Amino acid sequence: MKKLLSGNEALAYGALRAGVKVVSGYPGTPSSEVIASLLEMDLPGTFVEWSTNEKVGFEVAAGASMTGHRALCTMKMSGLNVCYDSLIGVAYSGCPGGLVVFVADDPGVSAGMCEQDTRGFAVMSDMPMLEPCSLQEIYDMTIIAFDLAEKIGGPVFLRLVTNNSQSHGTIEIEEKIKPADSAPMPPYDPAKYTKAGAAICMQQHRDLIERLELSERYIEEHGLNKLALGKKGGLGIVSVGITNGYTSEALDRLAAAGIDISDISTLRLIATVPYAKKKIDSLLENCSKVLIVEELEGYIEKFCYMEAYKNKFDVRFFGKEDGTFSRIGQYDALLVENGIRSALDMPRTDISLAEPPERLCAARPIGFCAGCPHRGTYMGLEKGLNACGYKKTDVFITGDIGCTILGSCPPFDILWTELSMGASIPFAHGVAYSGIPSPVIATIGDSTFFHAGVPGLVNALQHDINMLVVILDNGWTAMTGMQINPGTHQEFQKTNWKQLDIESLVRGIGVKHMWTVDPYDANAMAQATEQALKTEGLKVILARRECAIQAARRKVKYPQITFSPDSCVGCKKCINVTGCPAIELSGKIIAIDGMQCNNCGLCTGVCPTKALRAAG
Amino acid sequence: MNEHFDIYLVGVGGQGILTIADIITLAAVDKGIDVNFFPTKGMAQRGGFVKAQLRLGREPGSYSPSISPGGSDLIVSMELSETLKAVRYGKPGADYVILGQRWQPTAVMLGKAPYPDVDQVIGEIRGAGGVVHYLDPGNMPGEMRGNLYTLGAICAHSKLSEFFSKEDLEKIIADRWKAVAQSNIETFRAGYSAPTRTA
Repeated sequence: MKKLLSGNEALAYGALRAGVKVVSGYPGTPSSEVIASLLEMDLPGTFVEWSTNEKVGFEVAAGASMTGHRALCTMKMSGLNVCYDSLIGVAYSGCPGGLVVFVADDPGVSAGMCEQDTRGFAVMSDMPMLEPCSLQEIYDMTIIAFDLAEKIGGPVFLRLVTNNSQSHGTIEIEEKIKPADSAPMPPYDPAKYTKAGAAICMQQHRDLIERLELSERYIEEHGLNKLALGKKGGLGIVSVGITNGYTSEALDRLAAAGIDISDISTLRLIATVPYAKKKIDSLLENCSKVLIVEELEGYIEKFCYMEAYKNKFDVRFFGKEDGTFSRIGQYDALLVENGIRSALDMPRTDISLAEPPERLCAARPIGFCAGCPHRGTYMGLEKGLNACGYKKTDVFITGDIGCTILGSCPPFDILWTELSMGASIPFAHGVAYSGIPSPVIATIGDSTFFHAGVPGLVNALQHDINMLVVILDNGWTAMTGMQINPGTHQEFQKTNWKQLDIESLVRGIGVKHMWTVDPYDANAMAQATEQALKTEGLKVILARRECAIQAARRKVKYPQITFSPDSCVGCKKCINVTGCPAIELSGKIIAIDGMQCNNCGLCTGVCPTKALRAAG
Repeated sequence: MNEHFDIYLVGVGGQGILTIADIITLAAVDKGIDVNFFPTKGMAQRGGFVKAQLRLGREPGSYSPSISPGGSDLIVSMELSETLKAVRYGKPGADYVILGQRWQPTAVMLGKAPYPDVDQVIGEIRGAGGVVHYLDPGNMPGEMRGNLYTLGAICAHSKLSEFFSKEDLEKIIADRWKAVAQSNIETFRAGYSAPTRTA
């Protein structure tokens, strides 16, 4: 049947068709919709979960795979850094059930974080990685990835990029297959499933390399890579995954411009790893010039140079090494067209405008939503610092991943760093050792705290670090599109899942100085900050209030804010201090956008003339 | 008629720009035209930059979701300043359907940062060889949804009409929100017959 789906949904349906038993992962744009869509479905026999972090998620999937079931783990590229320690271990051990690791890369950086190329992990861990291009290919290759993983007995990567994971179109799909309800006991096999001893480890290394060779044969036998040889001595093009689409389109553009492209040889790869040695050699032997089209890093290009050297092929390469393409950003058909034109010694297609139109565009910085509780936390934090005699610029405050990092944007401009999930606490810990003339504060959101914040807090507590940790608990993994986490209200947890309480956790490990405040009460936050900074040792402030967007969906109502235009003197303090998008200027005075305002009341605390007031 | 048609849409979160792309996608599926709809929200929330790219009538698997610079047949914008981010993607001769709403960032509101005027935006489009169809938001009745109003104007002023008739799109709109079908169709028709400024 035909269905209108996104790339991530196509992947989810492919996994269901493959009879997947366990799907686990951690949210991260642009990968989140795989699990998000599966959690919406009724799937008897299949377990789907948002795990605490990517390492945990991968280990859950790997465990299921050890028993012979098929399992899928999902993440964005940054998540792979987190789970790699366990991933490499399973890659060496192998696993009987089809285990597929889905990673979404973000060339062009539409969602923040390092523009890293996950293909490097496939090279590093000798794991095959399938890189589909079109939406239909995503569905089909997902099914093949499970089959390939089972055939070689080891995990397989499936890599998408923002471009295709977020695209929508019609896809031909088939009925899902229900996985078995039970599994036999897996074999007791420490030589395979432990790393106890050099002999065991080196045998696993041998097995790993053999699995990669097996996968090369599988891909060859299934005809996944497509080689079309053109004229001997002519131009050849190698493309992979998403760049197969750019290349097809570039060739169409050239043909439409009346250029004869029939002599050009093409090699369309479904994967970078395993390197398609035979087909690459055939192409290099046939062509005098070869253009390699791969986004981000030049893995295939370097392999081509090596093969040409080994086989003494006389080929001139066009790619990243000679500056035809960049290692940075997302490609497009025009860029590839011009790459082909360079290789053919033809003039480039120039569409540049006299001056960039964007120069006139109004800058649009991101910031907190109307009603966001984090606004109150940062307003209160600054007020508390002021009460202790500090300006906000005097105090070193680390930030962390998620909505909480918007404290680094105007009008707050209060966070110095954003590194990786949970890093805010150990990073601040290190700074606290340095002897800088300022208090040290770490800020972190709830999901980030569960993800990787807890070990850092344990470490800071053990070593009696004099610093303040502010946990901004809005109850949701919000920035990636509102996923549940261990702290999300019980109402949203699946039947037998449990909501965990951050306050009990923090007190339970032995934090003595802790304040739990409502961030809609900026004064309470300020007082807690002041008290915390006057206390020696490790302090935690838990600023707890549900995300405004989610609260609104649950129809949570707050007392109406009233605005008296006659009392407004147009000082704009409410705009300058809160940066709330629900407050506008209307002539000389302000106006409240009733569509956006959720009556959080934070503006009433800064209005000097009481023009803004909470009712009642 | 073109075999394929590429549309680049820009606006800010909360305007419903993605709904325009959604409706056209559904209309394409309905008529069996190959379609790829690629929205980019990034970290966008209400008021943040949002774009979408729609590619119609191409052979499945032979193209990518991103439109190349200078490659769009139609540019749609619902926010005056954000229009400028789309100009480099328009073909010479491309239609630009613009609903000139202004969502001013705080710094602009406070008088600390500039915001382009209509003539500047139109000047940039003409410099890129585009054909302007500017809808003055002042002409749009306040209760109407800007996105369906804009879609009406797209249907009236661009070559999208070679793919979908007015009735095709009205059918999708009516099916999508059955309870408010009548008022939505009225909004669409108001946009269809709204006056446009072309220079």
